[in-house]
Amino acid sequence: MSIPGTKFGQIRRALRACGAGFPAIVLAFAAHADDAPAPSFNYEVRPILSENCFTCHGPDAKARKAKLRLDLEEASRDAIVPGDHAASALWERVTTHDADDLMPPPETGKSLTADQVDVLRRWIDAGAPYQKHWSFIPPARPVVPSVSDAAWARTPIDNFILARLDAMGVAPAPDAEKATLLRRVHLDLTGLPPTPEERAAFLADESPEAYEKVVDRLLASPHFGERWARHWLDAARYADSNGYSIDSPRSIWPYRDYVIDAFNSDKPFDQFVIEQVAGDLLPDATREQRIATGFHRNTMINEEGGVDQEEFRMEAVADRVNTTGTVFLGLTMSCARCHDHKYDPLSQHDYFSLFAFLNNDDDVTLPLPTPKEQEKLDKANAEIKAIQAELATYVAEARAKTIPAWEKALTLEQLRAFAPEDQATLLSAPDARDDAQTARVEALWKAQDDHIVKKNKRVDFLEKTSDRFTTTLVLAARKQPRDTFLLIQGDYTRPDEKLLPGVPEVLNDLPADAGASRLDLAQWLVSPQNPLLARVTVNRFWQRFFGKGIVETENDFGSQGLLPTHPELLDWLAVEFRENGWQVKPLLKQIVMSSVYRQASAAREDLRDVDPNNQYLARQNRIRLDAEIIRDAALAASGALDPAIGGPVVYPPQPAGVTSLGQRDRGWPVSKGGDRFRRGIYTAFWRGTPYYALTVFDAPNAQEACTRRIRSNTPLQALTLLNDEAFFELAEELGKHLAADTDTPVVDRIADAFLRCLARTPTPAETAILVKLHDTQRASFKETPADATAILGEEVGESAADDAAWVMVARAMLNLDEFVTRE
Amino acid sequence: MTPDEMIVEEAYQRELQRITRRHFFRDCGVGLGAMALGAMASGKAQAAVPSAVDAMAPRKPHFAPRAKNVIFLFMAGGPSQLELFDYKPELQKFTNTAIPASYLEGRRFAFMDSSFDISKVKLLGTQRKFAQYGSNGAWVSECLPYTAQIVDDISIIKTLKTEVPNHAPAKIFMNTGSAQFGRPSMGAWVTYGLGSEADDLPGFVVLQSGPRGPRGGAVNWASGFLPTAHQGVPFRGQGDPILNLSNPAGVSAGRQRSVIDAINALNREHQSATGDPEIDTRVAAYEMAYRMQTSAPELMDITGESQATLDSYGIQEGEASFGRNCLLARRLVERGVRFIQLYHTNWDHHGGSGETLTKDLDLVCKQIDQPCAALIQDLKQRGLLDDTLVVWGGEFGRTPMGELRDTIGRNHHNDCGVMWMAGGGVKAGYIHGETDELGFGSIEKEVHVHDLHATILHLLGIEHTRLTHRFMGRDFRLTDVAGHVVHDLIA
Repeated sequence: MSIPGTKFGQIRRALRACGAGFPAIVLAFAAHADDAPAPSFNYEVRPILSENCFTCHGPDAKARKAKLRLDLEEASRDAIVPGDHAASALWERVTTHDADDLMPPPETGKSLTADQVDVLRRWIDAGAPYQKHWSFIPPARPVVPSVSDAAWARTPIDNFILARLDAMGVAPAPDAEKATLLRRVHLDLTGLPPTPEERAAFLADESPEAYEKVVDRLLASPHFGERWARHWLDAARYADSNGYSIDSPRSIWPYRDYVIDAFNSDKPFDQFVIEQVAGDLLPDATREQRIATGFHRNTMINEEGGVDQEEFRMEAVADRVNTTGTVFLGLTMSCARCHDHKYDPLSQHDYFSLFAFLNNDDDVTLPLPTPKEQEKLDKANAEIKAIQAELATYVAEARAKTIPAWEKALTLEQLRAFAPEDQATLLSAPDARDDAQTARVEALWKAQDDHIVKKNKRVDFLEKTSDRFTTTLVLAARKQPRDTFLLIQGDYTRPDEKLLPGVPEVLNDLPADAGASRLDLAQWLVSPQNPLLARVTVNRFWQRFFGKGIVETENDFGSQGLLPTHPELLDWLAVEFRENGWQVKPLLKQIVMSSVYRQASAAREDLRDVDPNNQYLARQNRIRLDAEIIRDAALAASGALDPAIGGPVVYPPQPAGVTSLGQRDRGWPVSKGGDRFRRGIYTAFWRGTPYYALTVFDAPNAQEACTRRIRSNTPLQALTLLNDEAFFELAEELGKHLAADTDTPVVDRIADAFLRCLARTPTPAETAILVKLHDTQRASFKETPADATAILGEEVGESAADDAAWVMVARAMLNLDEFVTRE
Repeated sequence: MTPDEMIVEEAYQRELQRITRRHFFRDCGVGLGAMALGAMASGKAQAAVPSAVDAMAPRKPHFAPRAKNVIFLFMAGGPSQLELFDYKPELQKFTNTAIPASYLEGRRFAFMDSSFDISKVKLLGTQRKFAQYGSNGAWVSECLPYTAQIVDDISIIKTLKTEVPNHAPAKIFMNTGSAQFGRPSMGAWVTYGLGSEADDLPGFVVLQSGPRGPRGGAVNWASGFLPTAHQGVPFRGQGDPILNLSNPAGVSAGRQRSVIDAINALNREHQSATGDPEIDTRVAAYEMAYRMQTSAPELMDITGESQATLDSYGIQEGEASFGRNCLLARRLVERGVRFIQLYHTNWDHHGGSGETLTKDLDLVCKQIDQPCAALIQDLKQRGLLDDTLVVWGGEFGRTPMGELRDTIGRNHHNDCGVMWMAGGGVKAGYIHGETDELGFGSIEKEVHVHDLHATILHLLGIEHTRLTHRFMGRDFRLTDVAGHVVHDLIA
């Protein structure tokens, strides 16, 4: 077993003592001595087999070679003799020097390292035991480990983190500066930086609860919902247009507002899932529950001429299946659409069984008139009714005299203007006409009567304008479900076996009394037996606070995904979340109250070799803000933010020509007034021609579920922050604010800018840089007053040069790396 | 006191005097607290860490490349091979007759779902005159007289096969190797693999011309799951070539420089405090942004080109056009930009208004023909063609049968279409593959889009199975799980 007196032995003892699992640490320090312990199947063996063997010897029956399957214990015995590596074909094939026999075949470009071969040897000798894949075993609440420094552990989360750090012999980082922590938790929970007043209050509050008070205030803020809704909308592939080539606009923002409300009201997450998957099927479904089904209406619609509608309807259903896999299960279901999954036990049969749950809906538009719109509609309907009544009387009265008189008065020339059969009717004797002919004459008269034409125009106008109320896209279950077939190679033209709704075999069973509706699927997803939903969800919450998840591959909990760095912590959080009634806010509070969250984020020289990617969190991570939050922070710092929550999309300025990049130029009607300064989540998002400043900062394209954004760092981002009108006008706002404060010394105004933008005071070196910028710019603007006028617009006064110089200072502030980063 | 502290102190005193003169002592104590705090926070300085990974730094290919750069001339909408390169006298003979059933087996067509009666559709021979050109006797129609003159410099692929018959999915198939959304485009893969030689321009540039943008927009040059730095950057023909390139009114280049200097100085300060190499990357990004502000307008300014050059491309002064974009493509190659994609619309000749197989096809051919030939000749003359791979083609071909709209046109056809390639290690004066006598499918040497991709990567020195990125548990490639290098195309 452990080797006394070595670092390895110490670590193992420490790990056993603290109850932490062996996984990654063992990998890092594994010794090769014969007395080394049996490797863990899930943490050491399966990753090797999955990466190198499963493509040909795994779940996909069609791709399987030599009828050998290594993903199942029983089948693997064809190549493994438990306890005897030398007698096992598997070991022989991975160690042979004969290139024809060697596995994995050299032409695949894959090969095993000596360490990996050794893991396999020890595993076979220990009896080659299999385990169910870790994520398919339902989580159980683990024991909270004891740690070296109990005082550091403010929450049980910290015990799990510190136990691992103890084993590595690493101490956690100190708490971040109070002001840094304040800005961090503000940005993480609400996406808005603290105001200088909020900062001053926090710094002045020396009570032990000072931080907790802030956390509670932020969790109760209506801006909390805006921040957390955005993460969810990424996963829901929310956008305001139909996608593909035509990319027409769509109205589905009520769904976005539903998500904001759900987070703000701390709707239990299981309820949140049920409503989005099947809200319409709940007993006495409310308007909100129907709006929630917009989740699966965020699929794209191909309006291109000549497409087979059925093909793209099926595409949308496939997207719903894939999204269900990614968002709720953390599984790459999409891989099983055309063939059995190559790595995970997910068959094509599983895929289309899930498909059968989601294939029975009509895509409908739900009218949602606001009270004001309803009032307008009622008024219009009343007027239309009145006009129709008045016209009925008018026509009835006209029958006796006016119409016959009109007929008589027709000149030959006027008569000729009518169609030949109408001419005949008009020329016939009135009492010889049948009903249809009489009605025809009346119709001809009506078409030229000024009064009627005018009134009809009014009715048209009322009809056209009064039904312009808000709508949203929802699902509506069909009375008669569609037949679902397994599609050969996922091709909608090649149906095979007919399938009934079902769930992947490897996961928890559907309850015996379950039906075949989306509601049954929803309830299965949130059932306590589901091993994935809670884990996948808490992992994604975690990654928002640390930059990456406990399972870094947040969208793949299958055998090709990375293993959790802290499996017990993941399970503890998952169980805690579920047992606390799926409440999100208390869970997030636990995380932000922890010591691991509160650590300083500065790089640590001593971790460079031990944990270069900071997987074990002996410090916080600096995280570049999301695209929308960069805008929000600039809006807040400049004082321009309109904090209104919800409602139709808005159009902040963007460079000319962005919308012309798609097939149809949809134009961009820049919003006026407060709507110009709304938070980024409200900006209209066109899939084909997305708002530039959002995409340049890595907002997802809304074509498929996105559960983690890339964070890039490019020159185009620099140009956007420097020159984009949407940011420059905020620099002007902030600059004007700084300039107006003429009673305050320059250095203190610079300090004010730091407080507003970074929630901290500048160092002397930093102040000096900006003093120099301000002074040289002021001098330069004095020499070229036209520049100052161009920047300040009409509001130029004597202080123009000074004012414009402050705009340049403000511009520098809004461009700082620290400004767009959560420290 | 450090020099910085002295500057601050001096500024502070100066201000103090100014305010004091106006207000005596009102409010003047405000700043001291902040000053003191600021002073205490210093003293953390560390040596700067060298610059972090630069996504666009040039990287070595897997093996010696034949091409360094790619220019992809994307004929958006699907050009009709039957009117341009694929001469079918047999088809002409059978014009207006029904399609023999054997030709329809296993094929899918746009605008024809299960309810469509295919027996009503008739074969359509071309109205265009064809002639043979070059040492190989390549057939080229009267639509492309200039292209006819460069057939000895190009390889014509007659058998390009793709999998989907609708524009948006087919376009992303051509660009990303998949009809599914969310995959990186070819230009993104190439710069991900190789970086770019240009340090003052993006490594993947997109130029557009024609009456409308390509269907799907940004999806066509997306970076998918690769870092966003690899996304194509559209350069515009008018106004700012790159969005946000111009400074706001009142901000001169000198002023911009001062502001960037201040930003970078502050960022370096903070880098010292945090030790985060990402900050170095941001400093580098601001420097490159500043360089781009000069280099991009300089790139777009073609006034230094000789009149003979401008004439050869058919460029009219001040007019955005495909010709101008071809010239810009050459200038981008000269500046080391790795992947350049030109989109030209509209090639969707169904026969409807604005999409006739007659005058509208004439128009679009006229727009691209001379510039394409000029580009090849210009690159050749300057010795750039050897290192530059030029690819011409659209998302699919068009059907051998007619489609009746306002006039008779042709429908989308994914089983065969024409593409040509030149330079960058491709054979000169070569015709690849053959289609059946009616033009429904390939009878020899079919080139699937995956094969095309594998070949393009191969010419760039990249083994297509080894350019991978792991996402959702899978190593993704531009060529998915398929693709064979078409060695016949390589010189």
